[in-house]
Amino acid sequence: MKLLHTIILAATITAGVAYAGSAAEAPAPVTQSAQASANPVNPRWIAEGEKRFRINCGRCHQSPHKFQPRIMATAVRHMRVRGMLTDEDMRYVVYYVTH
Amino acid sequence: MNQALAKLCFVAVVCIGLTPLGTAQDDAELRPAAEETKPVPVLSGGAAFVPTWDSGNPVMVSIISPVLLVPVNRNLIFESRAEFEGDFVRRNGNSGDFTGAVEKSLEYAEFDYIGNKYVTFTVGRFLTPFNIFNERLYPNWIRNTQTDPLIYPIGTGSDNGLMVRGGVSLTKSVTLNYAAYFSALSTIDHFESERHAGIRAGLFFPHRRLEIGVSEQHQLQDSRFNRFGSYLQWQPVRLAFDLRAEGAYSREEGSGLWVEGAYRFRNAGAALWRRTQVVVRSQTFQTGTLAGINPDLPAVDTKRTEFGLNYYLTDGWKGLASYGRTFTASGNGNIWTVGMTYRFIIPLGPTR
Repeated sequence: MKLLHTIILAATITAGVAYAGSAAEAPAPVTQSAQASANPVNPRWIAEGEKRFRINCGRCHQSPHKFQPRIMATAVRHMRVRGMLTDEDMRYVVYYVTH
Repeated sequence: MNQALAKLCFVAVVCIGLTPLGTAQDDAELRPAAEETKPVPVLSGGAAFVPTWDSGNPVMVSIISPVLLVPVNRNLIFESRAEFEGDFVRRNGNSGDFTGAVEKSLEYAEFDYIGNKYVTFTVGRFLTPFNIFNERLYPNWIRNTQTDPLIYPIGTGSDNGLMVRGGVSLTKSVTLNYAAYFSALSTIDHFESERHAGIRAGLFFPHRRLEIGVSEQHQLQDSRFNRFGSYLQWQPVRLAFDLRAEGAYSREEGSGLWVEGAYRFRNAGAALWRRTQVVVRSQTFQTGTLAGINPDLPAVDTKRTEFGLNYYLTDGWKGLASYGRTFTASGNGNIWTVGMTYRFIIPLGPTR
């Protein structure tokens, strides 16, 4: 019974922290430089995304695979959970594999 | 035991709570938008045909493993993987036609809710996050050596319950990833689960492409005991080399470790070589105080070394072959594998 209480307590605290975190880290606005806005494809983000793909995805998968953007958006989301990618890693990798 | 579990939970909560401090500086940087492309449901997975000769006994291992990914909304995704495996053996040992049943299993069927950049909540049936082989390296199209590690049955499999997990950047050069979970007992056919509580935590150094981590699991039913694990994964930046290692310890079940190195000739001139990867894996297992408590583990102390060759035909196809030698107190034997794996991905909706 104590164990159950401990689990519930831990889950409650974690949920609280998560909620607090989500409030504090509300979706950041898309911050693009004027140069990036004028250019639909940001080469810096592409390069950074490729680098993060190789660092993170390349640990288990072979050379980069590119499919249609909507498929990759799903696959990367799956890998965020499975491979524990950070939020920032996911953003760059999605940008890389969809551009 | 409850105190230990409470400590683990406390550490997890503190880690989650403190991580914003370490990452706040990144938020000011330019970066891509969180969502630019709407995801589509996907049917993915793989197939493998890996005939194996273990101590002279042929087994035609055939596996189909579909993965279903359904993004429900921006923060919620449903994902599941089933496995259909037929291990066909000769009817009369080493003669006669091949026969056997196809085993069906649901490896995971879970809802993942991405709470924020630090934490994801998982509910349902999930792969037990004990070390990394079970969660990340198990699929045939990913693993470098086709046979399971000897210690794989320690602490792994699937569990039904709740999990919190995530990956957060502590600094620009260190990323923490963690998973803490609790699972309930289930004896329902294809949904079997044991009562566990556990945690896995790893530190990833992206610039060095090195990850190290530890696992702990409490078995909360029948013979109550603990399992401990550790792992390492390293890919040198300038070398197409992949080092993977895991260790597991359970006083009751046994303990052991495996180390695997794989090198791909990416810089070779000929395409034939650039598609080729050589693999060596060495492993050992010692039985515990309750030998036989886990029937999937070797019954006696065992050592095994394997040499393999993988050939990446295309993105989805891989040919493979390996030879290994098993050493046990009750006799030694050879283990051969040869086969193919295939990975597929099919959209289940409009992709434009």
